Amino acid sequence: MVFFDLGGNKSSDTTLDNHYDMIIIGGGPAGLTAAIYAARGGLKTLVLEKSNEGGQITVTQKVENYPGFISIEGMVLAERLADHARHFGADISTNGVKNLSFCCDKKSVTLENDRQIDAKVILIATGAKHRRLGIPGEDTFDGKGVSYCAVCDGAFFANKHVAVIGGGNSAVEEGLYLTQLAEEVTLVHRRDQLRADKILQERAQSNPKMTFKWNTVVEKIEGDQFVNNLVLKNVEDNTTENFAVDGVFVYIGLVPNSELFRNLVKTTRDGFILVDQQTLETSMPGVYAAGDVIDKELRQIINAAADGATAVSNAIKTYF
Amino acid sequence: MGLLKKKDQEQIQKRFEKEMKDKVNIVLFTTEDSARCQYCQTTKDVLEEVAGLSNGLIEIEHHLYETNRELAENYGVDQVPGFVILDKDMNNYNVIFHGAPFGHEFATLLEDLIVISNGANPPVSADVAEKLRAIDKPVKIQAFVTPTCPYCPPAVLTAHFFSMINPKFIKGEMVEASEFPELSAKYGVSSVPQMVINDGENSFVGAIPEKDYLAEVLKVL
Repeated sequence: MVFFDLGGNKSSDTTLDNHYDMIIIGGGPAGLTAAIYAARGGLKTLVLEKSNEGGQITVTQKVENYPGFISIEGMVLAERLADHARHFGADISTNGVKNLSFCCDKKSVTLENDRQIDAKVILIATGAKHRRLGIPGEDTFDGKGVSYCAVCDGAFFANKHVAVIGGGNSAVEEGLYLTQLAEEVTLVHRRDQLRADKILQERAQSNPKMTFKWNTVVEKIEGDQFVNNLVLKNVEDNTTENFAVDGVFVYIGLVPNSELFRNLVKTTRDGFILVDQQTLETSMPGVYAAGDVIDKELRQIINAAADGATAVSNAIKTYF
Repeated sequence: MGLLKKKDQEQIQKRFEKEMKDKVNIVLFTTEDSARCQYCQTTKDVLEEVAGLSNGLIEIEHHLYETNRELAENYGVDQVPGFVILDKDMNNYNVIFHGAPFGHEFATLLEDLIVISNGANPPVSADVAEKLRAIDKPVKIQAFVTPTCPYCPPAVLTAHFFSMINPKFIKGEMVEASEFPELSAKYGVSSVPQMVINDGENSFVGAIPEKDYLAEVLKVL
């Protein structure tokens, strides 16, 4: 996969204005789709994405369920979404957000470089990050055989035996990707069947390099310099066993990137932002939220994008 | 046939026009032995393409590694492909690349070129810069990355920015881990970015904030 990431413009923010109609925090599929709709709707729009334009899809090797693309690399889709938003005039900046203050008719965002920018409406589209297992050994061996990014680290496990923890789409997709590199990939799942889409289940089950540990959870990650063993527990009969592996990739769900907003808008106990189901407005008037960061059932690229469109369309109706 | 897409070429050209100021020099070392260096030729090709978009502001000085080892060593280059970025007066900031600047690291390359072209004043906060300037012992930061790792460019840039601030004592290296498996294995790299300081005296994983990064670097002093 030879590609060339042109990156953003990290060294200067001189092209940013001090006032926008809409500031979108987060530049994944939700934020970038929102930017397309906002810019086309005539709003002066700024997207703040401190890490990677495209968000989580930049660490997804292949996307096969976004309509119009039978198969597209996550990186390529990310680039197209960002280009699309820029094409219609949205500004995209790599500045991170340090603080927010919402008052009255004006909402301000303080950037990490202490610059303050105002907007009439704010959209939170900060997405989510991988959930950790929270078991002994996970921290100790983080970066020494424990990984959360198959696209980043898969190359180090060529011809080795790795475990993938989880049974959803991400676990199965990334597990299948790892079979291209590793000798054997064992999917460890706490239930007796996968939660992933049927087509992925079939691919996993017919892949000769993929094996399964059903009804099984990881209790402990062990090793010397590197991971060499997992202590697995069968949840049916409570027996434990040692399972030799060279690495472990964790895909057990998401935690929302909502720390900055927890005192400002209502969230679930887990931190997912609560929104009005129709309009996607949060508990704070003029502040919307979209994508993986909100409280909802399905977290996919397509409905993150849909959220972005819904939020902007309602914001335009209500505030402009 | 160009490696860069037409649209990318236009974007790079525009960005260079807007943001580059002075000339920069790339000193590149490769080998002709393609069995030993899978990406030497493509690295040279892509750097030449990039230089071709700079309206003469980027110049490439190319050497064969085998016959110019001493020169390479002076620049801190000990793998091929390897290159350093110098300013218009050939001042060396120890901004080193070992391996091809492909994938996400291409963004790192563009950023480095622009920052050095503007006098090598990287956007590092004042208190971090002050502590970097106070370093008076050699510090080598090797940032191990893969081209497909989107978290990696900030980790490399931080190493490069640190060396720009105190090039007399600090070396900042990108190491493309998959091209140098033996080196990666030597330091036990299995997740990227992983930073290795002074050949293993300290090492840490992950892109972390500038001041935490500095704290890790200072541990070897």
